[in-house]
Amino acid sequence: MITPEEAQNGGLLYAGHPACPGCGAALSVRYLTRALGEKTAFVITASCWSIIAGLPPLTSLKCPILHCTFPSAAAVGSGVKRGLVRKGDRETNVLVLSGDGGTFDIGLQALSGAAQRNEDIIFVCYDNEAYMNTGGQTSSATPYGTRTATAPFPLYQDRPKKDMIRIMAAHGIPYAATATVAFVDDMHRKFAAAREIRGFRFFHLLSPCPPGWGAEPDETIHLSRLAVESCLFPLYEVRDGEHYTLTYRPAQKKPLEEYLKLQRRFHSLEKEQLEAMQRQLDLNWQKLLQLIN
Amino acid sequence: MAGTSKPAVYKYSRGAQPGTAARTGDWRFLTPNWIYRPSPCRIACPLGSEIPAWLEAVKRERFDEAWRILRRSNPFPAISGAVCFHPCTENCNRGQLDESIAIPELERAVGEWRQKHYRPPAGPPVTRGRVAVIGSGPAGLSCAYYLNRAGIGVTVFERAPVCGGLLALGIPQYRLPRALLSRELEMLKDDGIIFETGVAAGGELPLDRLNEEYDLLFLAVGAQKERPLNIPGAEAAGVISAYEFLRRVNLGETVRLVEPVIVVGGGNAAVDAARVALLQEGITRVSLVYRRTRKEMPATADEVDAAEKEGVQLYFNLSPQALRLEEERPAEILFEQTETAEGKIKVLPAPPRSFACGTLIYALGQQPDWEALGRLSRELTLFAGGDLVSGPSTVPAAIQAGRLAAAGIMERLKRRPGTGEAQFLEGKPVVGFEELNLAALPSAHLTRRLSDPVAEAGRCIGCGTCSSCGLCALYCPDLAVQWRRERYDVNLDYCKGCGLCARECPARALVMKGGWEDAC
Repeated sequence: MITPEEAQNGGLLYAGHPACPGCGAALSVRYLTRALGEKTAFVITASCWSIIAGLPPLTSLKCPILHCTFPSAAAVGSGVKRGLVRKGDRETNVLVLSGDGGTFDIGLQALSGAAQRNEDIIFVCYDNEAYMNTGGQTSSATPYGTRTATAPFPLYQDRPKKDMIRIMAAHGIPYAATATVAFVDDMHRKFAAAREIRGFRFFHLLSPCPPGWGAEPDETIHLSRLAVESCLFPLYEVRDGEHYTLTYRPAQKKPLEEYLKLQRRFHSLEKEQLEAMQRQLDLNWQKLLQLIN
Repeated sequence: MAGTSKPAVYKYSRGAQPGTAARTGDWRFLTPNWIYRPSPCRIACPLGSEIPAWLEAVKRERFDEAWRILRRSNPFPAISGAVCFHPCTENCNRGQLDESIAIPELERAVGEWRQKHYRPPAGPPVTRGRVAVIGSGPAGLSCAYYLNRAGIGVTVFERAPVCGGLLALGIPQYRLPRALLSRELEMLKDDGIIFETGVAAGGELPLDRLNEEYDLLFLAVGAQKERPLNIPGAEAAGVISAYEFLRRVNLGETVRLVEPVIVVGGGNAAVDAARVALLQEGITRVSLVYRRTRKEMPATADEVDAAEKEGVQLYFNLSPQALRLEEERPAEILFEQTETAEGKIKVLPAPPRSFACGTLIYALGQQPDWEALGRLSRELTLFAGGDLVSGPSTVPAAIQAGRLAAAGIMERLKRRPGTGEAQFLEGKPVVGFEELNLAALPSAHLTRRLSDPVAEAGRCIGCGTCSSCGLCALYCPDLAVQWRRERYDVNLDYCKGCGLCARECPARALVMKGGWEDAC
């Protein structure tokens, strides 16, 4: 049983932030800042969090925030860290917070560069699987079968989601991990581990977005849990680009359909597409298990 | 609230103000409400005991609080934990997940804690009661306890030389250790209740006279007259009723039994008599014969199984026909073969079965002994309860009857009931197993641990009641759920009404309701 102090610990987040009801991104930042502690500086690229961080003069985080342009997140983060080191501050964690657009698409070259240079920053991608802040346009994190603003019915995203963790692991960075909001302890443990590591650390957080996914706002945690239990979003970490470890193995693999049917963005799917998605998921899961062994 | 704590705004962002200044609560169109819905254990309990609430206190190692909640509906947890037939565990939702919570064991643990930590109340000793309670069985004791708590003097009259009624004279020692009972009685005496034993109200002490001396009477003498066995030979020596047999054994007298012992009947008294007979010196052959099937036995299935395990032979669908005597003692008993159809017994045209019989114990059901109460010479105002009114029933039902009688008496005496009466949740639907959010249940992986009450209570889901698992606060994106005054509370200044707290609550203690306000 968790103590009341632990349960209501909001990390560096203030109540009163302007995220949508049931926002997975706000929860993600709440949990990760619980693990990182006060000595953290945020670099936020254009994303939902540009809004959630607060309308000046209000701020939603109890730490400094630097907003930056879409493609430059990792570069700005690198600069902030080097600037702090130059001023003698080696302790402060520089955390670059970016949505899936700023990571998978627009921010990818700066991210790849920073990872290759092994900059001492934590890059966190909270993945809501589309450009949700601007109305839900397709990004390369949008999974196969999704209906989006740029692929409305009868269209849908017909390409699979980019495997970001393996791209990052291919850079040979010291730490890369996935985490999600339903598994708070797991996320806490991973960020606490990342805090102790020097070098480039990458996080891929699945953050359900109720309005964007067409789900009820109270389903955020449930969706996040189902994504893990169905092995669609396995929880694992990669150290030094090669050592894969599964941090949570579902006792029983749940059918993907249970996850999909709660979201209106998947409602136009045909039965064959559903089966194809389940097959693809099984294949990905097998591939991951091979990497782990 | 975060607004009152020192703002931790980092020095670089001078001029920034905490986001708490924005009251995002006005976005809300649904509001979380704590609703207290009854759990299936509580509905099943004859006492309506607030089981999830006191288990929650045990979970937090607050035995004093657990006792305070428990005593609202049950002042004798040590006794009921030992003797109750625990319908609570049979209906426990957790039973469908892995194994039900060991509620009787936990109840007894709270009762034993109370026995250990009991302190008599300060104040002058009570010399005279205002209410006379006649009969010191569970109903009488419970009524006396609640009246005493409300500050009304009580005198309890008992016909037998020992107090406790059925608890002392009917229930075998292996089911209720007598040390537990005598400690409970001691505590009641220390509370200021006066006990007078060996006084048969109705006999040498007529009810009329009691009525003159006391403001009100509570009659709880139980059902102590065994239904007679109407077969030839039933008047012989060596034929004894189960009630009489158990009473004499419990009083420490030796009852001469001759093998083989035949017990006729299918209730708990019959099973108790058979098991106790087996414990007597030199007795190894005991048979229990019932005229219906095993399924139809009124006795608790656990007790029947235990009796069978100990070596009691069980026979069914046999109805006593005649007892053949030799030298005025039973020698052989004949049974008609029967069949039950739609609850009715049909005698089969088959030859009777014969059993050798040394002693015959019969337990055909008890009924109130009206004659023993004596004649009333004029109209009396009296309250009655327990088995006397309901017919033979259970210990918890008698405790409940005592509690209700106490409430009636207090109303009559224009006294307000003692503090912290149990609230009954009639009309609210029970929390079913399907409703629970077991995926989020923090204690899902724990298995039954009888040795550690605190750990065992930790397995309780707390269906319909907040068990302070903290998930609502943990999963709130707006930090609106906070621990205040020993419970989780929603800060409506920031709650956007997403409903995550209600959706993730494992016990379904929270529900979203339309509107801005907390409706509860």
